[in-house]
Order: sequence, then C-alpha cells, then structure tokens
Amino acid sequence: MNRLVSLVSRARVRWLATPAALLLASTAASAQEVVDRWGPTPPASTYGPRFDSLFSLITTLIGISFLIVLVMLLVPCLRDNAKKGKKAHFDHGTSLHDKRFTAVVSVVVFIVLDAWVLVRAMGDLREAYWNVPAPDTPGIFKVEVLAQQWAWNFRTPGVDGELGTPDDVITINELTVPIGRPVVFNLTSKDVIHSLFLPDMRLKRDANPGAINVAWFEAAKSGDFDILCAELCGYAHYQMHGKLHVLPEADFPAWEKDASALALAAYDANDTEARWAWDWKE
Amino acid sequence: MTARPLLLVTAALALVAPGFATPGDETAAGHDAGNAAEHSEPELPPHSRAPHQVDVTVHDDAWLLVNDYDTFGELAEADPERFEFVEGLLEPKDESGEVIDTYDGYRDKTGRVELRYDPEAEDVAYFERVSAERLTRGHENYIQYCASCHGLEGDGYGRSAQHLRPPPRDFRVGKFKFTKVGVENLPSDQALVDLVKKGLDGTPMYPWALTEGQLLDVIQYIKSLSPPESGWRDVYAVVKGPVDIGEDPWTNDVQGAVARGEIVYHNVGCFNCHPGYVTPARIDEIVTGEGGIAKGSYREDLTLPKIVPNTMYQVQGYKTSILPPDFTWHSIRAGRDRQGNLSALEIARTVGSGIAGSGMPQWKGSMPDKDIWAIGYYVRHLIETYHGKPQARAALMSELRGGN
Ligand code: HEC
Ligand code: HEC
Ligand SMILES: [Cu+2]
Repeated sequence: MNRLVSLVSRARVRWLATPAALLLASTAASAQEVVDRWGPTPPASTYGPRFDSLFSLITTLIGISFLIVLVMLLVPCLRDNAKKGKKAHFDHGTSLHDKRFTAVVSVVVFIVLDAWVLVRAMGDLREAYWNVPAPDTPGIFKVEVLAQQWAWNFRTPGVDGELGTPDDVITINELTVPIGRPVVFNLTSKDVIHSLFLPDMRLKRDANPGAINVAWFEAAKSGDFDILCAELCGYAHYQMHGKLHVLPEADFPAWEKDASALALAAYDANDTEARWAWDWKE
Repeated sequence: MTARPLLLVTAALALVAPGFATPGDETAAGHDAGNAAEHSEPELPPHSRAPHQVDVTVHDDAWLLVNDYDTFGELAEADPERFEFVEGLLEPKDESGEVIDTYDGYRDKTGRVELRYDPEAEDVAYFERVSAERLTRGHENYIQYCASCHGLEGDGYGRSAQHLRPPPRDFRVGKFKFTKVGVENLPSDQALVDLVKKGLDGTPMYPWALTEGQLLDVIQYIKSLSPPESGWRDVYAVVKGPVDIGEDPWTNDVQGAVARGEIVYHNVGCFNCHPGYVTPARIDEIVTGEGGIAKGSYREDLTLPKIVPNTMYQVQGYKTSILPPDFTWHSIRAGRDRQGNLSALEIARTVGSGIAGSGMPQWKGSMPDKDIWAIGYYVRHLIETYHGKPQARAALMSELRGGN
C-alpha cells in the first residue's frame, strides 16, 4: 500500500515536472533563444531549407495524429469507465462497424501521412539530394574524399581545376570550398564504413570501402562549419571530425592560389605510394 | 524460446560466411585434408590482415633501457617500494655472505633491474626487465587502438595508413620527431605518455584518452619493438625527458620577446627551410652573417617553405619528404600545452630539441636559452595572428611579395 502511494506521488511529481520546466524555460529565455539553443542549426546550403520544411511537415503531421489518438483513447476511458450503477463496457472491436472504422482510419492515415510525406520526400530527393550536377557542368567544385580510421582525407583540384595533378590541395580533417558553387563529392573509404555528415548543409552520405559514392551541396552561407562522421567506425569515431570552411567569392581565388602553391612545394614526384586520386565517378 | 532462431542464424552465418567465424574454428574453415591447399587462404600482407588474425601473446620478457646511470639515484629515491638504500658499506653482503648488487648504494628488491657496463663507452646504463605479461597487455591495447595506423607489426603501415602523409611512425626504427628530448636521445616514458595524450595536430594522430596505465603498457610494447643497435636495448643510448630551457625570461615583456624572436628567427636562417616573414630588405638588415647563414645568399622565394627530401621516415622502403610548416598556414604538430593552449614554452622546446630526422636541427646550445624562448613567442605570435585568418594572411603575403 505504501509503495502504491509513493508510486502515485512520484508519478504526480513527474506530471508536474514537465510544465514546470517549460514554465521555467519560457521565463528564462525567449522562444527564439530556445530554438537557437536546442533547435537545429540554421541551414547553410541552398537545398537545406527544403529538408527542414520536410522535417517540419513530418513533425506537424505526426504531432497532429498523436493528439487525435490521444483524444480517442482518453474519451472512451473517461466516458465508459465503471461508475455507480454502471458496469465498464468491454469490447473486442470485432463488429462490422468497428472493422469499417479501422479500415477508414488506416486509409486516411496512409493517404494523409505516408503518401503525402513520400511524395514530398521523393520530390526533394529527385530535385535536390540526388540531383548531382554532371561532372562537365561549368563552375562545379569537385572534391575527392578518402575516409579512414579515424580521419577525413580531402583532395580538391587546385588552380588547374583538375584532380590527380601535383597542385591538388590535400588536407586532413579540413575542407575549404567556395560559396555559391555546387560542391560535388566522390567518397570512399580505406578500411571500414564511415559517413560524411555536414549537419549545417543537411548532407549525409556513407563512405564505403571498395565503392565510390556521390553527393553534393551548394553553400549559401560563408563561415566555418562542422564535418562529422555519422557511422560508428571504431574506437576513435568520436574524434573523427573536422572543419568545413566556406569562403566568400572574393576570398576564394587568393586562397586557392596559395593552397596550390604550397601543395606544389610539398609535392614529391617519386612518392608514388602517396597518390590516391581516382577517375571521377558521375 | 527466442534462443533457437538466433542459434540457427548464427549457424547459417558460420556456414555461408567463413569470415564471420573466429580463427581456429575448424567447422567454419570446413576443409578436408585432400583439398587443404586449394582452400587455404593466400597469405595477406600485414596491412590488409584483420586484427583478430593476430596473436597478441608476447612470450619473452624484454630488457629495456630505463635511464642513464647519472640519474639513477633520483629514480631510486623516488621509488622506495623497490629500492633500498644500503648504508655505509662499500661491498654489502647478505646473511650468507654473498655480495649484494647495489647501484649507487641502492639495492633492487624486485630483481628487475640490471646495470650494464660498456667499457668502450665507459658508460653504465640501467636496464629494466619488462615482463611478458605486461608486454602482452601492451600489445592487446596496441592492436585495439594504434594498429589501424601504426600497423599490426608496428611497421607504420596499417590498413588506414595507406597513402597517408606524414606516415605514422614505424616503431621498428626507434626514432621520434616531437618528443622534445633532443635529436640524439630516446624519450623517457613520461615524454611519450605526454605526446600520446596530447596527439599531433594536423595529423590523424589524435589525443588518446587511454588511462596512464594502459598508455605505459602500450609504450613498453612500442619500446620493445626498437632495434638492438639504436633503441631501448642499446647501452650507448641516452634516455631523456624534455629539453631544459630554463625559466621564462620574457614573462613581463611579451612584445620584446616577439621582436627579439623575429630577429633571431631571420638571423639564424630558419627561412632556409621555413618561409621568411619579413621583406627581403628587412632580412638583409637583420642578417649579421654570424648567425649561421651568409649575408645576401638566400633562397629564391622566401614566401614558400622548402621541402626536405629523403628523410629517415620511410614508407614501404621509400624515404618520404617533409614540408617544413608555414606557420601562417599549416598547423604545427606539438605546440600545445596540456590544457590545449598554444604555448611559447612548447614551441621553444621543439626548437631547442630539434626534430629528429626531418632536417630541423637542435638549437639548444647554439643560441642562448633566452633567444630560444623568444623564438617560441615569435612563432606563437605568427600562428595567433595569421593562422586561419585568410584576410590577415593575404595582407602579410602581399607585403612580402612586394604588392603582388
Ligand atoms: C589514425 C592513425 C593513427 C592512430 C590510430 C595512431 N597514430 Fe600514432 N601517429 C600517426 C601519425 C600519422 C603519426 C606521425 C605524425 C608525424 O610524423 O607528424 C604518428 C606518430 C606517433 C608517434 C611518434 C611521435 C613522434 O614524436 O615521432 C607515437 C609515439 C605514436 N604515434 C603513438 C601512437 C599510439 C601509442 C597510438 C595508439 C594509442 C597511436 N599512435 C595511434 C597516426 C596514428
Ligand atoms: C633544415 C630545414 C629546417 C630548418 C633550418 C629549420 N626547420 Fe623548423 N622544421 C623543419 C621541418 C622539416 C619541420 C617539420 C617536421 C615535421 O612536421 O615532420 C619543421 C618544423 C618546425 C616547427 C613545428 C614543430 C611542430 O610542433 O610541428 C617549428 C616551430 C619550427 N620548425 C621552428 C623552426 C625554427 C624557429 C627554426 C630556426 C631557428 C627552424 N625551424 C629551422 C625544417 C627546418
Ligand atoms: Cu568514421
């Protein structure tokens, strides 16, 4: 009996905790601050807002259906429970009426939730995520990514615009790209599966050993952003992160020129084992 | 009840995919005697072998150099559990009249210490027996954390080390770059622990969050890989902690240190390898001709570093080259203190001790400590002002190139 009481009171405390926390949060910080602190970082790529709105759509639809289900569960509980002079009603839900009701709800849920989200998501994939610019598109910025335990090796073309040449800029855990040009990745791995994750760009793509995967984004904001590995890849997975520098149009050419000059200074023509560029995959 | 499907799945996996089975699992390998040759897998090169194919057991104890005889007294005093001071006797004897081995008046209670005298070098060195169990523990941790890069056999060519520059260290050579103990010396355990805990910036050699005990075990194992003639098995070798450059003489005058550092940096000709960071005209003013380089004969383009070819750091038999860092562009490897802040002391120590095998000389002894400190401040200043700041760097470079 005592235990029951304590259980009940603990449950009540928990029920109270959420609104109390919300109240505290709302007095301590404005809604914008809460979003800034706990929400996702604002999208920094051209297609980022598409995926954010898909995310909001899914959250809203699920939120609404959660509320509907909650109400539908609560109403019979309150309406049909045992009262003085009234026995609780118990029903298997096998009547024709109930079956029809279930079928209609299923169809509605499928059309409103699944079909809607599927159509939107397929559109986003086709028009954005899978819409990788062809390799001969003028102005694209190609990047070869070689993942390893536990680092990202990046290769960008340098001033000559060609990959696999001595002036290629090769970096570890750091990638510098221009704003406003599509950045196209070819990714692979030396050892185990890794996953290139640029949260601010809303881009995530696996890097698999023995296969070349393709991905792309176009930065809409300049600044420094995170590069993460999103696939548990061994002990130091948690350290496998880097920085993405998006440079404004005005700064990029000068940066690229210096980077290429230093790459040439570091180039050792006889060190064949250090080569790792591959034929570009579309 | 749920156990049965699981078992079935496991059995099926073992049958179709021998790769899933543990080594030595006869049923999974599934070959009969007649077909053994056909079925046996080809011998893989070490860098493509899987870690579970390695036997981690080390069978033999190793005698490893701990320190020079000079510092033995300090060591012994610090470890009373192990060493007992036998006072007042020239040749102490035990109850049965046997002479007890003492070193500097200390008796080793554990039997794990050995002093070796080398008549030619007129040197005595202090060796310690590291047990096979400890080496096995070290090997286990090594395979788990380090082998993907440093290789299953410690040869610096693990699966993830392919095409990687700088290459991970080959532990069978017994040479180290950033332990700051001087180019001729071997690093002490503590110097290695510090290095592995801090990692090397700009490379995949990260700060390793292993316990001190794990690290010490791994380090004993790494030491045991060194060759007899140049590593921790050699009486001639000298084990040292980080180079001593004294107290910071510039604590109250950081700007003075940076200004002095600029002069020393350019006067001794660091720009023979690294870039110069003042205009050629200013270099001509600074160079006295006594700092190590001749007045007037400088490299052509001082805004670019000059590659050092044929270093001792080999990959598959090829001697790799190293580009000296441009401090305004590249990240330096070992410039941070334990708190992670860029530190003039750490940079000064690197400069004082040199970087073995990279051509970067040891400057301690060829200039006063005060100047080494000044260089530490100057390099830190360069990094803080220009590294990762494209606009500031572009302005400096255009000044150095005379406006181009
Ligand atoms: C992801 C790859 C990687 C892993 C894993 C790795 N290292 Fe390294 N390690 C390197 C590279 C690369 C270098 C060479 C850096 C250089 O020369 O600038 C290096 C250098 C070293 C050095 C030599 C430093 C010097 O002063 O010359 C030591 C000692 C070392 N590693 C120990 C370890 C230990 C111990 C572990 C495991 C706990 C480990 N490493 C794991 C990549 C790795
Ligand atoms: C013979 C060529 C040479 C000369 C001369 C030289 N260095 Fe270096 N230095 C190097 C090389 C090569 C490296 C890179 C080593 C590596 O990363 O493997 C280096 C690295 C460094 C580093 C970075 C250390 C780190 O933690 O990564 C500093 C600081 C440095 N040098 C300072 C100096 C100063 C100061 C002088 C002059 C007093 C000087 N060097 C002279 C070749 C040279
Ligand atoms: Cu990873």
